Amino acid sequence: MKELDPLLHSQLRLGIISLLISVKEAEFTHLKDETNSTAGNLSIQLQKLKEAGYIEIEKSFKDNYPQTTCKITKLGIKAFENYVKDLQQYIKPKK
Amino acid sequence: MEEQNINPEQSMQIIQSMINRAQNNVADNGFHFIFWGWLVFITSIVFYVTLKMEIQNGWLVWSLMPLGGIFTGIYSYYQHRKYNPDVQKKVRTYAEIYLGYLWIAFGISIFTVLFMMNKLGEATYPLVINLYAIGTFVSGGILRFKPLIIGGACSFAIAIFSFFTPFENQVLLIALSLLVSYIIPGHLLRNKFKSQ
Repeated sequence: MKELDPLLHSQLRLGIISLLISVKEAEFTHLKDETNSTAGNLSIQLQKLKEAGYIEIEKSFKDNYPQTTCKITKLGIKAFENYVKDLQQYIKPKK
Repeated sequence: MEEQNINPEQSMQIIQSMINRAQNNVADNGFHFIFWGWLVFITSIVFYVTLKMEIQNGWLVWSLMPLGGIFTGIYSYYQHRKYNPDVQKKVRTYAEIYLGYLWIAFGISIFTVLFMMNKLGEATYPLVINLYAIGTFVSGGILRFKPLIIGGACSFAIAIFSFFTPFENQVLLIALSLLVSYIIPGHLLRNKFKSQ
């Protein structure tokens, strides 16, 4: 059996990617609320996903408040699709 | 969520719950449906009364429309700009982007139809009702909100009916169309948005 992408096979990182796949872009605070994670842990995981090229992170200011916006990349979408495909092998009932 | 080992079943659950979250959130608070619904509804009733009472220049009530446009423009601007954690946009869904394109197309079409009123004659209002129907029918599809789809479908029927109706009564049919496809679904959408 094919090994699952270790970058996605983690509770929080998989949660982030699953959220981002269904929206155009999401802010840091939104991701934090939806995944029930701490800011510190979320930052670390986002950084890992960014280094892999799965997401884009854009930092900006909105009315003097820092704002971090995250967006999934084409590579990220591909990785997610592959992950789901690989996952199916594990889930299919064994004969 | 803690960093820990997960098994494939858990992976599946995470994906499902995250995608459900994004899908169940209604992206629209119904403000524009309610605002425009009531504004045009009241204006068309007043216009009908001026026609019946043969008041001169009754059509001037329609000058409320650009004012409404300015008001909703300011409202949208403050909704997006103001720093308020409750109101501030934290996520941009595809639904919002599609809706944006839909209403831009709607606005251009309404403008074209009203601008060509002299050429269109008595077909003007039926075409306007038809455009109202497109607006809510497609919005309902994008937001997956049935009352908007049903309201839009009703307005398609009203539009056909209004082609065979004298001009004065077409104004009342506009009001009816607003009621079934904007005001009622708009309030239902607002209730759903508030309850989530």
